[in-house]
Parts: sequence; C-alpha cells; structure tokens
Amino acid sequence: MSTQRQATSASQTPHISPAELSYLYTSLSLPQNPIRPDGRSATQFRPLTAETDLLPGTNGSARVGFADGTQAIVGVKAEVERTVVGAAASYTLAEAEGAGDLDGEGGEGSGSAAGAGAATAGHGSWVQMSIEIPGFRDDDALPVFLAEMMREPLVESVSSGGKGGNGREEGEMGGGLKGRLVINRRWHWRLYIDVLLLSQPLSYPLPLLSLTTHLALLATKLPKLKSKGEEDPFFDDDWNAAEYLYPRASSFPKFGGGTATGGVPPPVQHVRPPVTLLVIAVGDNVIFDPNREEIAVADTVLAISVTRDGGAEGGLKLLSIRTIDPPSRLTQPGVPNSENVATLGATAGAAGSEEQQSAAVLNPVTGEEEVPGVWRPRRGGVKRRTVAKMVKLVLEKGGVGEEVLEGLESVEVG
Amino acid sequence: MTDRRRINGPPSGTRPAVFASSLKSASGDATERPRRHRQPNELRKIFLKTGLIPSASGSAYLEYEPSASLAAARSSPQSLIPPSSALKLACTVHGPKPLPRSATFSPNLVLTTHVKYAPFAARQRKGHIRDASERDLGVHLETALRGVIVAERWPKSGLEITITILEAEDDRWWGDAPDSHDAPWGMMNVLAGCITAASAAIADARIDCLDLVAGGVAAIVSDDAVAEEGSSSTPKLMLDTDPAEHKSILSACVVAYMPARDEITEIWLKGDHSKASLGVDDSSLGHEALIDGAINAARGAHTVLVEAVLESAERYAGLSSSDS
Repeated sequence: MSTQRQATSASQTPHISPAELSYLYTSLSLPQNPIRPDGRSATQFRPLTAETDLLPGTNGSARVGFADGTQAIVGVKAEVERTVVGAAASYTLAEAEGAGDLDGEGGEGSGSAAGAGAATAGHGSWVQMSIEIPGFRDDDALPVFLAEMMREPLVESVSSGGKGGNGREEGEMGGGLKGRLVINRRWHWRLYIDVLLLSQPLSYPLPLLSLTTHLALLATKLPKLKSKGEEDPFFDDDWNAAEYLYPRASSFPKFGGGTATGGVPPPVQHVRPPVTLLVIAVGDNVIFDPNREEIAVADTVLAISVTRDGGAEGGLKLLSIRTIDPPSRLTQPGVPNSENVATLGATAGAAGSEEQQSAAVLNPVTGEEEVPGVWRPRRGGVKRRTVAKMVKLVLEKGGVGEEVLEGLESVEVG
Repeated sequence: MTDRRRINGPPSGTRPAVFASSLKSASGDATERPRRHRQPNELRKIFLKTGLIPSASGSAYLEYEPSASLAAARSSPQSLIPPSSALKLACTVHGPKPLPRSATFSPNLVLTTHVKYAPFAARQRKGHIRDASERDLGVHLETALRGVIVAERWPKSGLEITITILEAEDDRWWGDAPDSHDAPWGMMNVLAGCITAASAAIADARIDCLDLVAGGVAAIVSDDAVAEEGSSSTPKLMLDTDPAEHKSILSACVVAYMPARDEITEIWLKGDHSKASLGVDDSSLGHEALIDGAINAARGAHTVLVEAVLESAERYAGLSSSDS
C-alpha cells in the first residue's frame, strides 16, 4: 500500500514482467512506425464517448468515458464573491484617482485601464480544482499533482494588449480564465471545478481528466449580468439568457444537427480552455495518449498544455510543460542468460551463435549497454532534442493539438 | 482539514499593516521596486555547504546572495518591509535504510521527498500541514532526483529527502497589487534551489548517482525598469530571475540538468510567451530558448555544486581535518 501511495507520478508500479516490458519497448521503438498493442497509430487517441450538461445542479458539466472503461465526471460551479483588495493596491488606486498622473504602481492591469471600468486582472485563487480518484486520499501526491497540473494553465495570466471594460465582450477576452471571472472592481466569480474519476485509474488519468474538464468548461454558462459598472451585481434570472463562459462559435448551430465536421469553419477562432496532452517518447518515437502498458515502458513522459488563442490566425500556444516521472524507472530488471544461474549451464552448452546474441550492445538512445530482449529500467533524463520534437508535434499546424481541440469542439454542447 | 493539535495563528492576515505614509520614503517619492543590477545572464551567488546536520546521513544548506537592494536595505533600513527576499533552505537525506516490514517488495530504492516551508518563510504565513503547493514541489523534486539515483543498487530500501525552506523567494514585489501577476513564480526558484541542495545532500550521503544534477531557472520578462518612461520594452530572456525585481514575468522554466550526460530529468515550464515571440523572430524567445536558458543557469549552479561535493568528499576522506 505504501508503495502505491508514494508512487506518485507513476500512478502505479506496473505489474508487467520484464520480458513483456522488453517486447513492448522493442515494438514501440521500431524506427518510423511504432507498433502499439491496440493497433493505433502514434498520434491516434483512444475512442471515447462524451456528453455535456448532464448535472442540472451545476453551471457546466461533462462526462467522458474511454473504451477501456475508465470514466470521469466534472462539475463546474460558480459563486459570486466580493473581491478583497490589498492595502497597497487600494492605496495606489486611491492615489491614481486623486492625483491622476501616477499610474505606475498599480500593475499593468488596473493602472492602464483608467476610467470607470478599470478591471482588475483576476486572481489565480478564484479557480479551485479538486480531484477525486478512487483509492487515493485527497491529500495524496497524485491528486494534488494532477490538480495543480490542470489548474496552472487554466489560470495562466495572459495580459492581452488593449483590454478594458469588464471583459465580457468577445474580442476583449484575454486568454486566461481568471480575467473573465471579473464582474467589476468589487465583485468576481469564483469557480469550483470538481473532477471525479468514476473508475479505477487503470492508466495515468491525466488525458481523461483534462478532456473532461475542457468539455465541462466549454459547457459552463454564467447568468447574464443586468447591472452595470460598479453596481452590486444583479443577474437576469432567465437561465436561457445565460452566457457561455467561453463563447461558442457564432456560425455553429446551437441546437442543429451533428454535421459539424463538414460545415464551414468559423471565421474567428475563439479562446478555448486549455487541454493537457500526455505525450511519451519511446526510443526515437513520440506517442500520444498512451495506455497503461505503453506508459510503463516510456523513456520520457511529458504533460504539455496548449490552448487556442483568440484572433484570426488561430494558432496554438504553449502554456505549460511538466515532466512526469516515468514508471519505467520503478520496474524490475530482466536478467540476461549470461548472468542467470538457472540457465548458465544451458548457454554454455549451446552453440556460439546464442552467445553472440546475448552480447551487450550500446543503445543509441539511452547511451547504455543493453542486451537485446532483456529489460533494463530506464535511467537518466531526456535529451533536449526529444523535448523539442515532442512539443513541435503538439504545436505544429495540423498537428495533434489542433486535432484534439477540433474534436472537442464538435461535441454537442447546450 | 484543520490542525487541532497545535495552536495555530490566524489563518490569514498576519502580515503587518502597510500605511500609506510608509510607502513614501523621506524624500517624498514612492517606494521603488528593487532593480536587477545583474546582467541578464548573470546568476546570483550561491552558498552551498554540505554535512551541517550530523544526525542525517547527508545534508546540505543552500543560500542565495541577497540582491543589491536587499543588502542596501539591511545596512540602512528605510522601511520595516524588506524589498525582496533571498532563498535559504536546508536539505537532509536519511537512508538508505530498510523499508518497514509492512511495505511491499521493491526491487529499487524507494525515494520519498518532503518539501516544507517554515511558517515564517514567506510573507504570507504557511501552516504546519503541507499545502498543495508544497506537495507539488515534492513531486517535482522526486521526478528530478529519481532519474539520477541508481536505484537498483538498493533493493528493499528507502531514502527520505526532507527540505525545509527557511526563507522563500517572493512571488512578486510586495508593493504590487496582488492581481498584477500572481502566479507563484517564486516557487520555481525554490524548486531550482531544492534540486541543487538535494543533489549535494545525496552526494554527501554517498549514494550512487549518474551525475550531479543541478537546478536552474530562466524567465522571459517583459517590462522591467524601462516601463516607467512609457516605452514598452521588448521581452527579454533572463537567467535566475528574482520575481520581486520584475513587473511582469511572461513565462518561466525550471530544469534539473545533468551536464555530463546533457540530459534533463525535470522540466517545469509555464506561462504564455506567445506574445513575446510574435514580435521578435521565433527562435530567440520561444520555449526552446527558455529551456536552453534554464540549462545555462543549471550549468552555473553545477560549478558551485561540484565544489561543495568535493569539500564533502575531502571531509569524508579526512583530508580537511588538518585544516580545521
């Protein structure tokens, strides 16, 4: 139990024999085209089912199930809260109003957006995320690490150029979520994102949880604001008038048929919640959405968060990269025949060709001597060029990141 | 979950009151943000000493040089509030020791990392129970170290690495509005320090490693002191940034780097630098430049690390007993 607890990033120590690990590694590290256990291509994701708006008590919710039976549910709830302004900030605000010429201290957000609608830039603590994984306490390392990993790109501060007003209009939305939670200078929304993994964590649950959170945020609606400016907030009680937290594409039919993929692409790409992709490198190959067996032999595991910027070019941007401890470091090594006491007599008696086979060769990727077909736990880190290659595959035009975001966009919302 | 066994301070609001008059110095102008006096590629000096805790099998103490403004404020204090802070942390390594009987079999050394801020380490008081950010740091540190330690040489044993942070880096200048940039940038400097110190402590405990791993931080900062003249300065890549000295950090990156193998065991990059790389050519301020910058910072820390480990080895071999 204690080893499961402390095996943090690795989810669980894989219970796969060294021979299986070696077989998996060899087939996944084949040059150019890896052979995956389930026959997918290197960039293909597992099939999934998704639905949104299933929890009536939330502002937005989603459920995603992978074909292997893992399921996650996410509920997003929003509350109105009074903004606490620090002593120094209120002083500088008062100073800025009184003197009118000193706006250097208040920070780029409040200082430059002079006038009635001076909006604060939002605060990261306004988004709270909790993750519940069966078999783990809520203060275990894995849920905490996952929650931080997913919350971090979400609240990433993006100081877009000319923002002002209360940030409700489409063009003025900064990329970050927290700027959007500002109602006025004294009030803001607080978001609670509760992630519930319904099944056992069969594979590293990050892709599932990230996709579900993304969908739930896409489906999140906040009541329409009726009050203006610095008044105490007052909302339209018609739920149908509520506005999406992340505005939907205008050309996208709200309640129409499901032929979204063949339709005309929307002219302006909207800001989208970030999505965190799990990418592994095995040998020279880069593989997306690994399942449990594949991640067990990975040389490197990276979590890469991307989002779509607002704006006409609609490119992807990188929000964060984190390394995850690959479980392959915790595996049991295989014993080559030359060192195995049980087979020592057999190899000595066999032909010389077999002895040649079990001679150690230098693995060009890890730079260590290995006997082919005998598993060695991974050591060391990742080369720079491997990181660059993994990030490039996510970010490039027409790459995996765009494909994932488009796929999520086509999920019916509302 | 509240801590019922100890008498805790109030959960928030233990900061001293900031009076408007104290924000102005005697000459009448408002208190200024500390400035970076170093070159963009110049690191702060690092003090690293091993073997300070005799009961542990390995230990290290790390301290960053106070910035110029902090040193000036200490010699002639203008205000009760120090302008910035300098990292100080202690790392202990216990082990390798046998795992408890109840633990399942492990063919490798089982690594446990604890990172804890002292309650007085930051401007905001930290509780006695580790919070999410401290656990997060612990996981990052574990990832960084696990790739370095040759774990299969100690089956069925455990290694505990405990880091106490005595003084943390600021996340921003204290005079800034709390919303100007609130991402915990100081945590990244803390992590880099943790990696370097833990590496020294592990070497001091004489545990086999592939290489001495060192931590380094680089950041893309958009506007520093130039912003007051109204000209928006272009974003720059800086090594070993002190978050208190910069108005806005666009993105930052920590790496744990092994120079001998040219490998990275841990990357933590966050922030959005797409705006920065649009204006200038893509390669000079992209994520790759950021990672390379952090690696250069780690190379700098590695030189200090080598000295500290050499000192530890000399002490172990009994060579330095004649000096003292």
